[in-house]
Amino acid sequence: MHPFIGKRIFHWFRKSETSNHELNYLFWECTSRCNLNCLHCGSDCSKNGKVADMPLKDFLTALDSIETKPDNFQVVLTGGEPLLRNDIELCGREIRKRGVRWSMVTNGYLYDRQRHISLLNAGLGALTISLDGLEESHNWLRNSKYSFSSVDRAINLAVSSSRLNFDVVTCVNKRNFTELPSLYNYLTGKGVKAWRLFTIIPVGRAKNNIDLLLTGKQLKELMDFICLHRKLNSIDVKFSCEGYLGPYELKTRDSYFFCRAGINIGSVLADGSISACPNIDRSFVQGNIYNDNFFEVWQSRFRPFRERGWTKTGQCGKCSLYKDCLGNGMHNWHYDKRNVLVCHNEKIMEGLKS
Amino acid sequence: MRSKLLRKLIGGLSFTTALFVFQACYGTPQDFGSDLYVEGIVKSKKTGAPIKGIKVSVENFPQYEFTAEDGSFSLYTEIAPLCKIMFEDADSDQNGAFLDKDTILTNPFGEIHLDILLEDK
Repeated sequence: MHPFIGKRIFHWFRKSETSNHELNYLFWECTSRCNLNCLHCGSDCSKNGKVADMPLKDFLTALDSIETKPDNFQVVLTGGEPLLRNDIELCGREIRKRGVRWSMVTNGYLYDRQRHISLLNAGLGALTISLDGLEESHNWLRNSKYSFSSVDRAINLAVSSSRLNFDVVTCVNKRNFTELPSLYNYLTGKGVKAWRLFTIIPVGRAKNNIDLLLTGKQLKELMDFICLHRKLNSIDVKFSCEGYLGPYELKTRDSYFFCRAGINIGSVLADGSISACPNIDRSFVQGNIYNDNFFEVWQSRFRPFRERGWTKTGQCGKCSLYKDCLGNGMHNWHYDKRNVLVCHNEKIMEGLKS
Repeated sequence: MRSKLLRKLIGGLSFTTALFVFQACYGTPQDFGSDLYVEGIVKSKKTGAPIKGIKVSVENFPQYEFTAEDGSFSLYTEIAPLCKIMFEDADSDQNGAFLDKDTILTNPFGEIHLDILLEDK
């Protein structure tokens, strides 16, 4: 298909998806506690958490408010670190009782054999584990000298289960950038089937750490690395959906960039706030399950997510690619929202010139 | 309504699958797998009383669970053409002494309820 026609069809599809805004993917930030103190954390989580864990019944009330759940509807448990909750298996079972699939994002630190079995027993269907480099650089970013060995164990367990749809995510930064080929070999050697690569945006603890942020040249080289290794077909390697990639669209991911936050993706945050992806600035919160009916909020609010015209400001205001990008990922809009925090395409173009 | 129908129609066509299979930036992959839910109660064949502490496991899979005070158990497991559920008295004489038992499910699907009676040793 001619790229122009493909893109036109995609624009129509995106418009239709936005108009329908079918909720397919619901995050539950089930705790704000975390057992690590990562240098790049965007959420400023802490060991104790600023907010008490939400009682399961409160989340279930929000879940039960959803009148019609599509076949592929899924609840994704996130945090903080979900495994710090002792009742995570009970949470999973209650979600499955309602005919809903559930999955979990974990740093892997507490994911041992016993927990692996109890989570599978509770109907866990998909899992994401964070691995941010080989041992030294992973432990540096995760701020823990034992983190790598725990993640290694968690990956071994996840790989051993054919039931789990499982992937590894890596936050690429200046320290682990040169390790990517070795990391690729490490993951393929273990039999990992899917690997997603991120960059770090300058928010939370990462805001003032220059070691974490890639240069334009490095971002361009990361794109080339992904393109090359996608062709090898030994692992499904891709760039995350964090931003519009200009000349690398469709080369580093399976489909065009489409930020579905608030369109197909919603969340119940630790304090009951209703939003989209948990990494989106909290000023975009649309309601609270303790005051509002979750599904009514989903159906009737979320305007800033579904009408993105307000992002046509700052550098996006005069960008010729705006209709393809629509202001990049929503998590790139923080603070005064006068400009996008990161323009991936601009950085890639810098890299192409250097 | 019309656009929803159109979406379903397009979603059914395999060449557009990539458009519909998505993953949030910091989320997990979507779960398209199938599993089997097995639940039940384990009782003594002789007395009819529920048995606590029986190890319930699935052959060829690492999963297991122990029956609760009321003899109940439940777990999700992978679907296999022949699914062998094994019941084992793993706590010696504690809670009584019973012979092990296997139950084979042929082409199991969805949710299965099992009432298991174990014979005394």
